[in-house]
Amino acid sequence: MLGLLETGSGFWSAIIWVIIVLVIGSIVIYVRNKGEDSYKKDTEQDKPFISGNPEGSKENSHLSASHIYWGFTEALKGYYKPLVKMHTGNINDYSSWIILVTVIILIIIGVSG
Amino acid sequence: MKLNKYFNRSLWVFHINTGSCNGCDIEIVAALTPRYDLERFGIKLVGSPKHADVLLVTGPVTEKMADRVKRVYEQTPDPKAVIVVGTCGTSGGVFHNSYILRGCVDKIMPVDVYVPGCPARPEAIINGVLQAWIKLEKLKESMEAIPAK
Repeated sequence: MLGLLETGSGFWSAIIWVIIVLVIGSIVIYVRNKGEDSYKKDTEQDKPFISGNPEGSKENSHLSASHIYWGFTEALKGYYKPLVKMHTGNINDYSSWIILVTVIILIIIGVSG
Repeated sequence: MKLNKYFNRSLWVFHINTGSCNGCDIEIVAALTPRYDLERFGIKLVGSPKHADVLLVTGPVTEKMADRVKRVYEQTPDPKAVIVVGTCGTSGGVFHNSYILRGCVDKIMPVDVYVPGCPARPEAIINGVLQAWIKLEKLKESMEAIPAK
């Protein structure tokens, strides 16, 4: 697995690959650590640019996963809202739904069969 | 070691409108379009003050914009220069005694170059950018002589 793999048009070695990654990674870390020395810590330069507006609290500026499918829920609002209403979080309601749907299915099967 | 020294580039400009009528803003755009074409020197407008060397401010500073423009100024990395384009930003212009104004730009932050005019012509704006560039070069030299702690 760690040996040299000859392909005919070249070779591949896991050890050489690891060494190259380490060398490039070290160079990147070195360059990054040099950074920008005129940067001022604990000033406005630390904070994000929001068109000059002050940064809100982290809780309020949190981008939740639901933002990703905002367009989807917005377009299907008419169908989605009643579904949200049905999800009360009460186990009795969910059990009632199961019983109700089961009864309806049984009636349909009974009528058609 | 300052890494940016080895990746030096042309002047990048962040434009902020603090209450301008848009006359000066149109002239700034004119300075970038093919007739005057500032971008041929690599000078361009950027979307964030964090990438900018120069703040280009147009308009008198309204009460609503005062805090915001100050914050933008503080977020711009050093060394930086501020150019005020237009009479309104320079002195308040025709709006100087308006109830809604905090005042001209130099009441909020230090200004390096004034480009008067209503609106300022693109040639004047280009000259202003050049003056700011000269000033910035001197600032950079002085900063390199006294390294930041």
